[in-house]
Amino acid sequence: MSNIIKLEIYRYDPEKDAEPSMQAFEVPVTKAGMKLLDVLNYIKWHIDGTLTYRKSCGEGVCGSDGLNINGVNGLACITPIAGLKQPIKVRPLPSMNVIRDLVVDMEHFFDQYRSIKPWLQADSPLPEHERLQSPEERAELDGSYECIMCGCCTTSCPSWWWNGDRFLGPATLLQADRWLKDSRDEKIGERLDQLEDAFKLYRCHQIMNCMDCCPKELNPTKAIDHIKRTLLIRKS
Amino acid sequence: MNKDRGAAHNGLTDWYWQRLSAVMLLVLIPLPFALLCAVYMGVLDQFELLEIFSHFVPLLLHTLLVFAIIVHAYFGLKLIIEDYVPAALMRVPLTGVILLIMGTIGIWWLALIWAWGG
Ligand code: SF4
Ligand code: SF4
Ligand code: FES
Repeated sequence: MSNIIKLEIYRYDPEKDAEPSMQAFEVPVTKAGMKLLDVLNYIKWHIDGTLTYRKSCGEGVCGSDGLNINGVNGLACITPIAGLKQPIKVRPLPSMNVIRDLVVDMEHFFDQYRSIKPWLQADSPLPEHERLQSPEERAELDGSYECIMCGCCTTSCPSWWWNGDRFLGPATLLQADRWLKDSRDEKIGERLDQLEDAFKLYRCHQIMNCMDCCPKELNPTKAIDHIKRTLLIRKS
Repeated sequence: MNKDRGAAHNGLTDWYWQRLSAVMLLVLIPLPFALLCAVYMGVLDQFELLEIFSHFVPLLLHTLLVFAIIVHAYFGLKLIIEDYVPAALMRVPLTGVILLIMGTIGIWWLALIWAWGG
């Protein structure tokens, strides 16, 4: 790899710019194993302090730096520069309203998440300490509890691009399935009632973009299929 | 502000019939192809082919195939309309038109094959 990293970064300030543009940057390699977030930080700290992006944990835990990197959604903090074709094209998550540069408005995404009531709901009296699960019941949640709600999957889903106002999208549906699978939750019926809808759920056509881009290697398509099958079992 | 209108309790039936018709197509579609291959390779001639279709079981399979094709096509087109036509004022009549067209084709096709059989 050469000592210079070439990038083209989406720039847009809705208050000043008539339209978005791509700005070229060249950044020196400062250490081995650099991640895209290191490069964005270098630009922000040494070249152009106006570059705007979200970040927090820097290690793939908080889910705040989901970006479109060379056409594929992913987290800047865990995307190694080494594997990327240069100039690296960095854009905000697709189909989202841009607040500035790489920062998008996640309001609707989290509204949808809230709509599935992503918390434990149970009417039975609380045990003295906590509601317990067997190791097997806990293992049922593997593959969904790891989701960090970065939005990479949902914003790569063509069905969500077309019908995002109604289709809940892969991230929210993965979480909906997580609560259906939770042995301690007692509102499965209500949860299923809320999901049985041609637009909320059945817009998923198993295109599998969501699964391909998930930085946590989760499989929302499988979870969506599980919800559909659970609804079918309930009906039959 | 929460503007969630709840769920319409639809979609499951469409999904179910689309899957069921897909499985039926998977099983039934090879049969006419096998017959066509047999004609092409000279194992059957055209009259023998028509003769096959005058028996009850082939007629029944043909009927199921027509049913699967029509159902699958209708729900597939309905899905596309729901995806790409956001205005309900357009979407609902358009779905009705597709249902009408598919229904007509289905009835015409079935009338044709059963008249042949009779
Ligand atoms: S499923 Fe994966 S891509 Fe989607 S929000 Fe969760 S962690 Fe992000
Ligand atoms: S599998 Fe479903 S949710 Fe995932 S990208 Fe495709 S349509 Fe969207
Ligand atoms: S900065 Fe937290 S996931 Fe990337």
